[in-house]
Amino acid sequence: MSDIQVHRTDHGIGVVTPVGRLTMVAAKPLTEAVVALVDQGTSKVVVDLGETTFIDSSGLGALIAGLKRCRQAGGDLRIARPTEQVTTVLRLTNLDKVLTPRATVDEAF
Amino acid sequence: MATAHEAVLVARPEDIEVLQDMVAALWDAEPGVGGTDRTRFEMALVEIFANVVEHSERAHGGPPVRRVAVTLTVDEEQVQAVLVDDGRPAAVDLSAVTMPDEDATSGRGLALAVAAVDDVDYQRDGDINRWTVTCRRTA
Repeated sequence: MSDIQVHRTDHGIGVVTPVGRLTMVAAKPLTEAVVALVDQGTSKVVVDLGETTFIDSSGLGALIAGLKRCRQAGGDLRIARPTEQVTTVLRLTNLDKVLTPRATVDEAF
Repeated sequence: MATAHEAVLVARPEDIEVLQDMVAALWDAEPGVGGTDRTRFEMALVEIFANVVEHSERAHGGPPVRRVAVTLTVDEEQVQAVLVDDGRPAAVDLSAVTMPDEDATSGRGLALAVAAVDDVDYQRDGDINRWTVTCRRTA
């Protein structure tokens, strides 16, 4: 089970950190967390995947849903600190171009 | 010498956690399986189980009652999972599965499973569905 942590930086960037496994169980809470940030006026969002031990296609779908929501609001969603498993999944699904990993949260925007 | 790990799960999202804990126990028992093979196998297995969960929810429309018997085996050549359930037939052609466009928010599961491991097989056998995930060991 993943725990979704959310905070905003001093620069107005939303940082969402899924801790643990990001599968069908946690995909909806992740999307909801991003949508809530956008609805509150924060449309630049970093999903910090450094604490995400495993991601599946549902988790990827949640990232894409969040990305679309941020871009609709004039912002963007970027990912940071992917583990090897996350990088592998992005490559196998051809999503490494649309979700280009950043090495750190600070480098994302 | 093959070892088998078996469990009967319920076709519901929460049991993905149970399945992944089962996989973690398998790796504890089989420390010789390489990291890449572990990742490939777990990714495919989770996607296949999630697919069974999705179709179970659609078929019944109520509380999830479909049971899924999971058997995991490791030998010198491969890691394999067999998932057996008695639900409705799965209308799937694994040879025709393709990865959706990059802006799709769903529909990647089976394509990811097929891409991750060496073989994914589905058979309707009498009244049961049988999924087999095979990952040949590379290390």
